Amino acid sequence: MNAILALGLALLTLLILVQGRYGLVTLISILINLGLMILTVILIAGGFNPVVVSVVVGLMILATTIFMNQAKPDVAGPAFVASLLVMAVFVGLVMLVFYFSQTAGFGNEDGETLEGFSTAIGVSFQQILIATGLMSTLGAIAEAAIAVSAGLATNEIQPGAGQSAMLAEIIGTAINTLFFGFFGGFSALFIWFARLSYSFSQIINNKVFVGELLEVLLAVIAVIMTVPTTAWIVHSRQRRG
Amino acid sequence: MIKKYWRWLLILLPVATFLAARFDAPLYSTPVAQVTRVTASASQTETDSNSNEDRLITQRVQARLLNGPGGTIALTNTYTASQALDFPLRVGSQIFVTKIHGQYQLKDDKRDAILLTVAMCLIVLMILVLRRHFWVTLASIVINTAIFLLVVHVDISNQSINAWLIFSGLAIVFTLVTAAFIVGVNRLMLIISGATVAATVLAVALGYAILSLTGYNGVHLETVKYVTQAPQLLFYVQIVVGALGAVLDVAGDIAVSVYPQAIGRRDKFRNGMAVGRAVLGPLIGVLMMIFVAGTFAEAVLWLRNGNAVGQTIEWVMGLGLAQSLISAFGIVLAVPLTSGAMAFVKQVDA
Repeated sequence: MNAILALGLALLTLLILVQGRYGLVTLISILINLGLMILTVILIAGGFNPVVVSVVVGLMILATTIFMNQAKPDVAGPAFVASLLVMAVFVGLVMLVFYFSQTAGFGNEDGETLEGFSTAIGVSFQQILIATGLMSTLGAIAEAAIAVSAGLATNEIQPGAGQSAMLAEIIGTAINTLFFGFFGGFSALFIWFARLSYSFSQIINNKVFVGELLEVLLAVIAVIMTVPTTAWIVHSRQRRG
Repeated sequence: MIKKYWRWLLILLPVATFLAARFDAPLYSTPVAQVTRVTASASQTETDSNSNEDRLITQRVQARLLNGPGGTIALTNTYTASQALDFPLRVGSQIFVTKIHGQYQLKDDKRDAILLTVAMCLIVLMILVLRRHFWVTLASIVINTAIFLLVVHVDISNQSINAWLIFSGLAIVFTLVTAAFIVGVNRLMLIISGATVAATVLAVALGYAILSLTGYNGVHLETVKYVTQAPQLLFYVQIVVGALGAVLDVAGDIAVSVYPQAIGRRDKFRNGMAVGRAVLGPLIGVLMMIFVAGTFAEAVLWLRNGNAVGQTIEWVMGLGLAQSLISAFGIVLAVPLTSGAMAFVKQVDA
């Protein structure tokens, strides 16, 4: 039996044990997101503009993540609007940073991965990098937006010390999730650098390292932007009615 | 005056960082140059064996040496339009160069300025949004990074110590430190850490069992990247470290929201489960998207080199998929484990 399928079935079992019938919805939402990410890759390889594809598919991913995981419309609505606003700003930021970073494609450390491949494939790796930066952050944006929107809707906290503590906590835990999430992938690269005794100046200019670290930094920036934006949207809705 | 406008002064920090990094060439021992003029001298179309068309562009570049002897140098840079392994030079780009047979050649781009500037932008944003919580968050990141670097150092300098043991220890220390920063050093921290460690251990054990039973069918450990030691070790280290933040997030959310409630054991468990159920879906999504988006460049490369979609998914994404599924086990398992521990702790309190 295929290992991935077996792992997926095990996850479904765990989800149903913990979430009941709703566990199936969670798994379907994960599968839809996965399918959309694979579709993105196929469309990019098929010659569509990577940035346009990732923005369009990104909207769909935000919608599935937010509306399938959050049944209450007064929580999901503001979270979705806030995510869209942040995404619009974030696309610009990612394009700007990756224009200057020169980290598209592969580094010297990727040599083994590239063996036997033609790399002159006529698709802009610069734009694939922008797509990667955007897609890897969408989950975190959606998660933070839901957390803020749900927190403000249930606790009915008035703006003030209690609320700012809650927002800070959401940012703190989201940073942990992202930090360790990316660090997991980083660990092999760090061991590589240490084993081959790269100097500090080599590391902070290294294509792979700078590319990956910029992705983490940008993702954290996106999450921090999401939290006050969502709070602002929730409050302006409450004021209106 | 300063007190009133200090927030505006913060904006100067990224600018100052950028300028400092643009003028740090004297700190480097390798020659650094700044591009002063670029002329595209030739452009030719090339087609590979899969009939992918790309353009090969040659630039004639004039640059000013920023360290060492100084002076103006000339070099050529050839890059492909798709930029898989190379990049175009622009006026103002700072680059590392080497001198071979009296002729300067491009070595690599100097990327410290963009990296440090973005990092400083993040710090300023954190100060503005987090206010007094800023220092706690920053300290947590700095301390965890320091611990990680220390452990990597121990791992490579001590071949005699079991690497599995070192990284298991690392995961536990990460958990304790991060939990302490979330809730302070108290009983709650121990509950959150305990639940996180237990959930992660169970998740990895379950994942290991399933992978062993299926004989890693469809999961190719040889595709683990940047391998310098046993790929299997790196595979599991990546899962444990990668999942930690998300598992801690679940455990922390449950513990913090249930702790102040003065209700019975059974209700505490039920409320904890409700909090956990609400947060786990998006968190699994966060990790899944980080893992899968990271494979985009390689996946497109595979597809454009004439590989089938199924094959590309299996070889490029298979590993990351397995890792994010096992991480998801941890996130889901943390919900009953933390809720159970919270129900139990009330009894001890009473």
